[in-house]
Amino acid sequence: MKKLLPSIVTGFAAGVLTTVPLLKNFACCLLLPAAAVFAVFLDQKANGEDENLLMSKGVVIGLMTGIFAAVFGSTFDILITYIAKSNDLVSTFSEMQNFISNFPINETMKQQITNMMQSMVNDITHTGFSLFYTISIIANNFISDSIFGVIGGMIGVQIYKSRKARQR
Amino acid sequence: MKLFLKIILFTLIIIWCAGFLIEFIIPHFGSAVYALPFLNKFYSLVCHQNPDKLITINGYSTLVCARCTGIYFGFLFSAAIFIFAIKITEPKIKYFVFAGIPMLLDVLFYSIGIYQYSKTIALITGLLLGSVGFIYFYDALKKLYFEFKEKR
Repeated sequence: MKKLLPSIVTGFAAGVLTTVPLLKNFACCLLLPAAAVFAVFLDQKANGEDENLLMSKGVVIGLMTGIFAAVFGSTFDILITYIAKSNDLVSTFSEMQNFISNFPINETMKQQITNMMQSMVNDITHTGFSLFYTISIIANNFISDSIFGVIGGMIGVQIYKSRKARQR
Repeated sequence: MKLFLKIILFTLIIIWCAGFLIEFIIPHFGSAVYALPFLNKFYSLVCHQNPDKLITINGYSTLVCARCTGIYFGFLFSAAIFIFAIKITEPKIKYFVFAGIPMLLDVLFYSIGIYQYSKTIALITGLLLGSVGFIYFYDALKKLYFEFKEKR
Protein backbone atom coordinates (compact mmCIF):
# COMPACT_ATOMS: atom_id res chain seq x y z
CA MET A 1 0.00 0.00 0.00
CA LYS A 2 2.83 2.38 0.92
CA LYS A 3 4.36 1.79 -2.50
CA LEU A 4 1.09 2.74 -4.20
CA LEU A 5 0.39 5.80 -2.07
CA PRO A 6 2.22 8.36 -4.28
CA SER A 7 0.30 7.13 -7.32
CA ILE A 8 -3.01 7.15 -5.43
CA VAL A 9 -2.51 10.72 -4.14
CA THR A 10 -1.39 12.23 -7.45
CA GLY A 11 -3.88 10.11 -9.43
CA PHE A 12 -6.71 11.35 -7.22
CA ALA A 13 -5.64 14.98 -7.72
CA ALA A 14 -5.41 14.52 -11.51
CA GLY A 15 -8.77 12.68 -11.58
CA VAL A 16 -10.45 15.53 -9.73
CA LEU A 17 -8.87 18.25 -11.87
CA THR A 18 -9.88 16.57 -15.14
CA THR A 19 -13.46 15.75 -14.19
CA VAL A 20 -15.06 18.07 -11.66
CA PRO A 21 -16.91 20.97 -13.35
CA LEU A 22 -15.10 24.35 -13.15
CA LEU A 23 -11.87 22.66 -12.04
CA LYS A 24 -11.69 20.85 -15.35
CA ASN A 25 -11.25 24.17 -17.13
CA PHE A 26 -7.66 23.85 -15.97
CA ALA A 27 -7.36 20.43 -17.60
CA CYS A 28 -4.40 20.27 -19.86
CA CYS A 29 -2.36 17.59 -21.54
CA LEU A 30 0.46 18.45 -19.13
CA LEU A 31 -1.62 17.75 -16.03
CA LEU A 32 -1.31 13.98 -15.95
CA PRO A 33 2.38 13.85 -16.95
CA ALA A 34 3.01 16.43 -14.20
CA ALA A 35 1.11 14.23 -11.71
CA ALA A 36 3.22 11.23 -12.74
CA VAL A 37 6.47 13.23 -12.41
CA PHE A 38 5.33 14.29 -8.95
CA ALA A 39 4.48 10.66 -8.10
CA VAL A 40 8.04 9.57 -9.00
CA PHE A 41 9.48 12.19 -6.62
CA LEU A 42 6.97 11.30 -3.88
CA ASP A 43 7.81 7.63 -4.28
CA GLN A 44 11.51 8.34 -3.82
CA LYS A 45 10.78 10.39 -0.71
CA ALA A 46 8.40 7.84 0.79
CA ASN A 47 10.17 4.61 -0.10
CA GLY A 48 13.79 5.64 0.13
CA GLU A 49 15.95 7.26 -2.49
CA ASP A 50 17.32 5.00 -5.17
CA GLU A 51 20.49 6.21 -6.88
CA ASN A 52 19.93 3.81 -9.77
CA LEU A 53 16.26 4.42 -10.28
CA LEU A 54 15.21 2.30 -13.25
CA MET A 55 13.15 3.61 -16.13
CA SER A 56 10.86 0.59 -15.78
CA LYS A 57 10.02 1.74 -12.24
CA GLY A 58 9.10 5.16 -13.63
CA VAL A 59 6.85 3.44 -16.18
CA VAL A 60 5.11 1.45 -13.43
CA ILE A 61 4.63 4.53 -11.22
CA GLY A 62 3.34 6.55 -14.20
CA LEU A 63 1.03 3.75 -15.27
CA MET A 64 -0.36 3.35 -11.75
CA THR A 65 -0.87 7.13 -11.50
CA GLY A 66 -2.74 7.01 -14.82
CA ILE A 67 -4.86 4.04 -13.72
CA PHE A 68 -5.80 5.72 -10.42
CA ALA A 69 -6.57 8.99 -12.23
CA ALA A 70 -8.79 7.02 -14.62
CA VAL A 71 -10.57 5.20 -11.77
CA PHE A 72 -11.24 8.42 -9.84
CA GLY A 73 -11.99 10.44 -12.99
CA SER A 74 -14.46 7.89 -14.36
CA THR A 75 -16.17 7.49 -10.96
CA PHE A 76 -16.59 11.25 -10.57
CA ASP A 77 -17.82 11.66 -14.13
CA ILE A 78 -20.38 8.84 -13.81
CA LEU A 79 -21.54 10.09 -10.39
CA ILE A 80 -21.85 13.73 -11.47
CA THR A 81 -23.72 12.68 -14.62
CA TYR A 82 -26.06 10.50 -12.53
CA ILE A 83 -26.79 13.25 -10.00
CA ALA A 84 -27.04 16.17 -12.45
CA LYS A 85 -28.70 14.13 -15.24
CA SER A 86 -26.59 16.22 -17.56
CA ASN A 87 -23.02 16.48 -18.82
CA ASP A 88 -20.91 17.89 -21.66
CA LEU A 89 -22.54 15.56 -24.17
CA VAL A 90 -26.05 16.77 -23.25
CA SER A 91 -25.13 20.45 -23.14
CA THR A 92 -23.33 20.43 -26.49
CA PHE A 93 -25.69 18.02 -28.28
CA SER A 94 -27.64 20.57 -30.35
CA GLU A 95 -24.40 22.32 -31.28
CA MET A 96 -22.86 19.01 -32.33
CA GLN A 97 -26.01 18.09 -34.28
CA ASN A 98 -25.82 21.36 -36.26
CA PHE A 99 -22.15 20.88 -36.80
CA ILE A 100 -22.53 17.33 -38.12
CA SER A 101 -25.34 18.44 -40.46
CA ASN A 102 -22.88 20.82 -42.13
CA PHE A 103 -20.34 18.14 -42.99
CA PRO A 104 -20.21 17.22 -46.71
CA ILE A 105 -21.12 13.56 -46.05
CA ASN A 106 -24.15 11.46 -46.95
CA GLU A 107 -27.45 11.89 -45.10
CA THR A 108 -27.63 8.28 -43.83
CA MET A 109 -24.35 8.70 -41.95
CA LYS A 110 -25.50 11.99 -40.47
CA GLN A 111 -28.78 10.40 -39.36
CA GLN A 112 -27.05 7.36 -37.83
CA ILE A 113 -24.58 9.38 -35.80
CA THR A 114 -27.28 11.81 -34.67
CA ASN A 115 -29.54 8.92 -33.60
CA MET A 116 -26.70 7.30 -31.67
CA MET A 117 -25.96 10.52 -29.80
CA GLN A 118 -29.67 11.24 -29.28
CA SER A 119 -30.14 7.87 -27.60
CA MET A 120 -27.26 8.57 -25.19
CA VAL A 121 -28.60 12.06 -24.45
CA ASN A 122 -32.11 10.66 -23.82
CA ASP A 123 -30.77 8.02 -21.43
CA ILE A 124 -28.75 10.60 -19.51
CA THR A 125 -31.51 13.21 -19.23
CA HIS A 126 -34.12 10.61 -18.15
CA THR A 127 -32.16 8.26 -15.90
CA GLY A 128 -28.75 9.92 -15.46
CA PHE A 129 -27.09 6.82 -16.88
CA SER A 130 -26.17 5.64 -20.36
CA LEU A 131 -24.36 2.33 -20.69
CA PHE A 132 -22.76 3.33 -23.99
CA TYR A 133 -21.57 6.65 -22.55
CA THR A 134 -20.26 4.95 -19.40
CA ILE A 135 -18.28 2.38 -21.38
CA SER A 136 -16.81 5.08 -23.61
CA ILE A 137 -15.88 7.23 -20.60
CA ILE A 138 -14.13 4.37 -18.82
CA ALA A 139 -12.28 3.31 -21.99
CA ASN A 140 -11.29 6.90 -22.82
CA ASN A 141 -10.04 7.59 -19.30
CA PHE A 142 -8.01 4.41 -19.06
CA ILE A 143 -6.41 4.84 -22.48
CA SER A 144 -5.52 8.54 -22.26
CA ASP A 145 -4.53 8.57 -18.58
CA SER A 146 -2.32 5.49 -18.95
CA ILE A 147 -0.51 6.94 -21.97
CA PHE A 148 0.08 10.31 -20.33
CA GLY A 149 0.93 8.71 -16.99
CA VAL A 150 3.62 6.50 -18.56
CA ILE A 151 5.11 9.46 -20.46
CA GLY A 152 5.15 11.48 -17.22
CA GLY A 153 6.69 8.61 -15.24
CA MET A 154 9.51 8.25 -17.76
CA ILE A 155 10.21 11.98 -17.88
CA GLY A 156 10.01 11.97 -14.04
CA VAL A 157 12.86 9.44 -13.84
CA GLN A 158 14.91 11.55 -16.28
CA ILE A 159 14.40 14.68 -14.16
CA TYR A 160 15.04 12.82 -10.90
CA LYS A 161 18.30 11.29 -12.15
CA SER A 162 19.44 14.60 -13.57
CA ARG A 163 18.84 16.32 -10.21
CA LYS A 164 20.67 13.58 -8.35
CA ALA A 165 23.62 13.83 -10.74
CA ARG A 166 23.83 17.59 -10.13
CA GLN A 167 23.72 17.13 -6.36
CA ARG A 168 26.66 14.70 -6.46
CA MET B 1 16.27 0.67 -30.85
CA LYS B 2 14.97 -1.54 -33.63
CA LEU B 3 13.58 0.09 -36.76
CA PHE B 4 10.13 -1.50 -36.48
CA LEU B 5 9.76 -0.10 -32.92
CA LYS B 6 10.71 3.33 -34.23
CA ILE B 7 8.13 3.03 -36.99
CA ILE B 8 5.46 1.92 -34.48
CA LEU B 9 6.27 4.91 -32.24
CA PHE B 10 6.13 7.35 -35.16
CA THR B 11 2.86 5.81 -36.40
CA LEU B 12 1.27 6.13 -32.95
CA ILE B 13 2.19 9.83 -32.81
CA ILE B 14 0.69 10.34 -36.30
CA ILE B 15 -2.53 8.54 -35.21
CA TRP B 16 -2.70 10.75 -32.10
CA CYS B 17 -2.35 13.91 -34.22
CA ALA B 18 -4.87 12.63 -36.79
CA GLY B 19 -7.32 12.11 -33.91
CA PHE B 20 -7.52 15.77 -32.96
CA LEU B 21 -7.59 16.77 -36.64
CA ILE B 22 -10.63 14.53 -37.27
CA GLU B 23 -12.85 17.44 -38.37
CA PHE B 24 -10.45 18.15 -41.23
CA ILE B 25 -10.44 14.45 -42.17
CA ILE B 26 -14.22 13.88 -42.18
CA PRO B 27 -14.89 15.77 -45.47
CA HIS B 28 -12.44 13.37 -47.18
CA PHE B 29 -13.34 10.15 -45.30
CA GLY B 30 -17.02 10.47 -44.39
CA SER B 31 -17.16 7.38 -42.16
CA ALA B 32 -14.73 9.08 -39.75
CA VAL B 33 -17.77 11.03 -38.52
CA TYR B 34 -18.72 8.03 -36.34
CA ALA B 35 -15.59 8.61 -34.29
CA LEU B 36 -16.21 12.34 -33.80
CA PRO B 37 -18.32 12.27 -30.57
CA PHE B 38 -15.94 9.77 -28.94
CA LEU B 39 -12.79 11.57 -29.99
CA ASN B 40 -14.31 14.86 -28.87
CA LYS B 41 -14.84 13.37 -25.42
CA PHE B 42 -11.46 11.61 -25.51
CA TYR B 43 -9.51 14.80 -26.18
CA SER B 44 -11.62 16.72 -23.64
CA LEU B 45 -9.81 14.64 -21.02
CA VAL B 46 -6.48 16.12 -22.03
CA CYS B 47 -7.56 19.65 -23.01
CA HIS B 48 -10.12 22.21 -21.83
CA GLN B 49 -11.28 22.62 -25.49
CA ASN B 50 -12.24 26.26 -25.00
CA PRO B 51 -13.85 27.17 -28.39
CA ASP B 52 -12.02 30.53 -28.46
CA LYS B 53 -8.68 28.76 -28.20
CA LEU B 54 -9.17 26.07 -30.86
CA ILE B 55 -7.49 26.43 -34.25
CA THR B 56 -10.26 26.86 -36.82
CA ILE B 57 -9.73 26.75 -40.58
CA ASN B 58 -12.66 26.85 -43.08
CA GLY B 59 -15.12 26.14 -40.27
CA TYR B 60 -13.32 23.02 -39.08
CA SER B 61 -11.53 23.05 -35.73
CA THR B 62 -8.90 21.00 -33.96
CA LEU B 63 -10.24 19.05 -30.96
CA VAL B 64 -7.53 20.50 -28.72
CA CYS B 65 -6.47 24.10 -28.07
CA ALA B 66 -3.72 25.93 -29.94
CA ARG B 67 -1.18 25.23 -27.18
CA CYS B 68 -1.88 21.49 -27.06
CA THR B 69 -1.86 21.39 -30.89
CA GLY B 70 1.58 22.99 -30.73
CA ILE B 71 2.81 20.47 -28.17
CA TYR B 72 1.62 17.49 -30.24
CA PHE B 73 2.91 18.90 -33.53
CA GLY B 74 6.21 19.62 -31.79
CA PHE B 75 6.28 16.00 -30.67
CA LEU B 76 5.56 14.83 -34.25
CA PHE B 77 8.10 17.19 -35.78
CA SER B 78 10.80 16.14 -33.32
CA ALA B 79 9.89 12.47 -33.74
CA ALA B 80 10.46 12.70 -37.49
CA ILE B 81 13.89 14.24 -36.92
CA PHE B 82 15.20 12.39 -33.88
CA ILE B 83 13.80 8.94 -34.58
CA PHE B 84 15.04 8.70 -38.15
CA ALA B 85 17.79 11.28 -38.67
CA ILE B 86 19.69 12.82 -35.75
CA LYS B 87 20.96 10.79 -32.79
CA ILE B 88 20.97 12.44 -29.37
CA THR B 89 22.22 10.89 -26.13
CA GLU B 90 21.65 12.06 -22.54
CA PRO B 91 20.02 15.47 -23.18
CA LYS B 92 20.51 17.89 -20.30
CA ILE B 93 17.34 18.56 -18.33
CA LYS B 94 17.95 22.32 -18.24
CA TYR B 95 16.99 22.58 -21.94
CA PHE B 96 13.62 21.06 -21.11
CA VAL B 97 13.13 23.64 -18.37
CA PHE B 98 14.20 26.46 -20.74
CA ALA B 99 11.76 25.20 -23.38
CA GLY B 100 8.92 25.35 -20.86
CA ILE B 101 9.65 28.92 -19.71
CA PRO B 102 8.15 30.75 -22.77
CA MET B 103 4.92 28.75 -22.33
CA LEU B 104 4.73 29.52 -18.61
CA LEU B 105 5.42 33.20 -19.28
CA ASP B 106 2.74 33.29 -21.99
CA VAL B 107 0.17 31.74 -19.62
CA LEU B 108 1.22 34.18 -16.89
CA PHE B 109 1.22 37.29 -19.11
CA TYR B 110 -2.19 36.79 -20.70
CA SER B 111 -3.69 35.63 -17.37
CA ILE B 112 -2.68 38.87 -15.64
CA GLY B 113 -3.74 40.91 -18.70
CA ILE B 114 -0.38 42.11 -20.02
CA TYR B 115 -1.62 41.07 -23.46
CA GLN B 116 -4.61 39.29 -25.01
CA TYR B 117 -4.53 35.52 -25.57
CA SER B 118 -2.93 34.78 -28.91
CA LYS B 119 -3.35 31.43 -30.65
CA THR B 120 -0.13 32.02 -32.57
CA ILE B 121 1.94 32.57 -29.41
CA ALA B 122 0.23 29.59 -27.72
CA LEU B 123 0.95 27.40 -30.76
CA ILE B 124 4.61 28.47 -30.98
CA THR B 125 5.33 28.09 -27.25
CA GLY B 126 3.59 24.68 -27.30
CA LEU B 127 5.59 23.69 -30.37
CA LEU B 128 8.81 24.56 -28.56
CA LEU B 129 7.96 22.54 -25.44
CA GLY B 130 6.62 19.60 -27.44
CA SER B 131 9.62 19.36 -29.72
CA VAL B 132 12.11 19.52 -26.84
CA GLY B 133 9.92 17.28 -24.65
CA PHE B 134 10.04 14.53 -27.25
CA ILE B 135 13.84 14.36 -27.02
CA TYR B 136 13.56 13.48 -23.30
CA PHE B 137 10.71 11.08 -23.89
CA TYR B 138 12.61 9.32 -26.66
CA ASP B 139 15.78 9.13 -24.58
CA ALA B 140 13.75 7.63 -21.73
CA LEU B 141 12.17 5.16 -24.14
CA LYS B 142 15.60 4.08 -25.37
CA LYS B 143 16.77 3.56 -21.78
CA LEU B 144 13.67 1.48 -21.08
CA TYR B 145 14.35 -0.60 -24.19
CA PHE B 146 17.94 -1.29 -23.09
CA GLU B 147 16.80 -2.12 -19.54
CA PHE B 148 14.47 -4.78 -20.93
CA LYS B 149 17.18 -6.01 -23.29
CA GLU B 150 19.66 -6.36 -20.40
CA LYS B 151 17.11 -8.23 -18.27
CA ARG B 152 16.66 -10.77 -21.06
